[in-house]
Order: sequence, then structure tokens, then C-alpha cells
Amino acid sequence: MDFKNYYSALGVERTASEDEVRKAFRKLARKYHPDVSKEADAETRMRDLNEAYDVLRDKEKRAAYDALADRVARGGSPEGDFQPPPNWDQGYEFHRGAGAGPADHADFSEFFSSLFGAAERRESARRSVRQRGEDHHAAIEITLEDALKGGEREISLRALEADANGQPDWVTRTLHVTIPPGVHAGQFIRLAKQGLPGHGGEPAGDLYLEVRIAPHARYRVEGLDIYMTLPVTPTEAALGAQVQVPTPIGSVVEVTVPPNARAGMKLRLKERGFPGKTPGHLYLLLEIALPPADTDAAKTAYRQLAEAAPFNPRRHLGVDA
Amino acid sequence: MNASQRVSIETVTVVGAGSWLGATELAHACGADIDWVVQLVEVGIVEQAAPKERPDAWRFESTALRDALEARRLERDFGVGLDAAALILDLQREVRRLKSALSTQGLGR
Repeated sequence: MDFKNYYSALGVERTASEDEVRKAFRKLARKYHPDVSKEADAETRMRDLNEAYDVLRDKEKRAAYDALADRVARGGSPEGDFQPPPNWDQGYEFHRGAGAGPADHADFSEFFSSLFGAAERRESARRSVRQRGEDHHAAIEITLEDALKGGEREISLRALEADANGQPDWVTRTLHVTIPPGVHAGQFIRLAKQGLPGHGGEPAGDLYLEVRIAPHARYRVEGLDIYMTLPVTPTEAALGAQVQVPTPIGSVVEVTVPPNARAGMKLRLKERGFPGKTPGHLYLLLEIALPPADTDAAKTAYRQLAEAAPFNPRRHLGVDA
Repeated sequence: MNASQRVSIETVTVVGAGSWLGATELAHACGADIDWVVQLVEVGIVEQAAPKERPDAWRFESTALRDALEARRLERDFGVGLDAAALILDLQREVRRLKSALSTQGLGR
């Protein structure tokens, strides 16, 4: 395990004030926000930023982390070989601040939990109030086919659990989850009592998995609708045709292409998108694919077509040929 | 210290029709209290699935949970008020809709 430098993650000096730390975090959080960032690793960067900020914004955690960084610098632990010394955090108390928001800690690195996990365990064990455990959130990416038809997925999460002595401990749990059919992007799958443990005999929190649909080579998803590009020949587009179309659930359906169809025209297969109160549709975007003119017969046929149906597609541009 | 275990979960629920989230559950999922959910409804960040007067009868869909979590993060990370969070969420939705529309046309990233 590497010793993480939270200061360089935020691009600040160790002497940075609380205000400087906050400003640096906010600037980078805007830069790596998934909706505006062009960086491929924006999500990982965001997680690292959140983790660094969680420690450096908190006076106690920051002081403990600084003291440990000094010990590590003096001890010169080899790269990738960091282990926190026993009782390194003695004398520090960490609290989850009020209004800390959703429990993101379980998404943080092994480094973070090896440092602050023990303190969270102590705090958790000390609480005498009866309180339901916190809910935990994670994202789960599934294929379009699994979303429509249901499927099974494994997901690994780190979570606090009570050990044999009743003490909460960090464990890595691999959950084998049955995905119900018909889930769509942005929906949450709720796993009862799979969140953080409760206190004073109260039940554990729940785990919410936000569904994401993996990009698909053939289909694109927008809300409950599914889009697919359907190539047709000029003949099929001009005269109309019955063509076969594969649907995302694996069946093949016959679709009527109307005569005089144009590229970009949208055909709708009603209610063949995601199910819902108002079910989504499967849209086919027509694309005209030209037969290759790679034989004499094909070339002749193209010439005959040009003679039989003279057509200037550039007339609207004000040119004659 | 770092144990591992395997758990098989057969029964899950999808938040939405038939298994809504109550106001207390939505608050709990966001590490907040019910008053905060009342404010979210007031500023229009989340909408009830079927409008009811009393908060204990409120029901929410998945989209409400997603928007509430996002609002909570905006509050925590940027210190924004809920009105500003509502505007940011509206803009975010619009950006995502436009990006998605572009990609269905084969354009965009």
C-alpha cells in the first residue's frame, strides 16, 4: 500500500490554511465534475479529491495525518510498503461531522480505512444511542441486455461489520446480486440491511445501487427509450421494404420501411424500450447504405438509374450539376 | 483485520412503483433529517410521486433519491444554498439530455 499524499492530491502546501484547502478542493471538484470534465479518469480523480478533502478539512484528522507523515518521512518506509504503525492515532479523536452527508467513506481507499477505520470503529462501538445504521451507496454498471431481461452480478464493497466479539470491523464483502428485469439507468436497486451496522440493537442501513447501463455497440439509451441505427439500401428506402431488425432482448422483428424513406428518418417500435408507467420505445434511425459499385453489372445499374431518374441533390445549393 | 466474505442476495427491490421511499427513508439515505427533505420539496429539487399534504405520507421515486444525494453533495462540497443547488441540478439535467440527444445522432463525445 502506498502512503497517500493528500496535500499533493489537492495541489496545496502542507502549510495551507483551512481556507486555501477549501478553495483548492472546490476548484478541482469543478474541474473533475463528471458533467464538465473531459478527463477519462474524472471519476477516480473525484474520489481521490473527496478522500483528501475529508482528511484535510478536519482539524483532528489533518493533525493526525501530518504527525504520521512526519513519522513516515523519518522512518523512510519503502515505496508501496506502507503500513500504519500500531496505535499511530492514539490521542486523536475523529468524529463524523454533523451534516457530513451520505456515507462516502466506504468508497475511499484502503489507505484511508487503514488510518481512520479503527477510529470509526471505536466511535461506532462507543455510541450508546439506539440508531439505525447509515445507508450506503454505490454504482453498478450492467449491460443493456441484463437491464432489460434481468441477470446476476457480483459487486465487491468494503463495509463496517460487527465481528465475533461484537466489535465493528472493516470487511470486504462480495455481494452476488440478482438484478430484476426492466431496471433502467438512474434507478436505484435497494438491498435491505446491507448498509452500515446499526447501534444499540437497531438494524443495519440499506445499500442503494445506482444502475448505470454500459455503452453498447449497437444500441444507445436515452431515458426509457432505446435508439439504434438501421442501415437500408437506396432501393429499400425509395420503394419501401420489409426488413428484419434485432431487438435488445434478443428477438428479431419484421419492420416496414415506408416508401420514400430518408436518411435520418425515425421509425418507432412502440413500447419496445424499457418498461415503466409510460413504457419507452425502440427507435430506428434510418441510414442509407450504398451497394458497392464494384462489378460491371452494378456500375451499369447505377448508370441506368441516373438516366431513368435524373436527380440533382444539390439544387437547393443553387448549382446545376 | 481486513476480512472478506461472500453474500448472496436474492431479494432486492427497485426504488419506484410499488416500493417508494418515504420522506424519512429519503432523509436517512442522504444522511439528513426530514426537515431537509421538506426544504427539498419546497424548492422543487425533489417531487413526490403522488402529492400528499403530510410529510409522513410522502412517497418518492429513484430520481428523487439521485437528485437529493446530488444536492447533499453540492451543499457539502461547495457550500451552496438549496435554491442554487436546484438551478445547478436543472442545468445538469439539461446538459445530460443534450449530450444524450447528440449521441443518439452519432455526434458528441
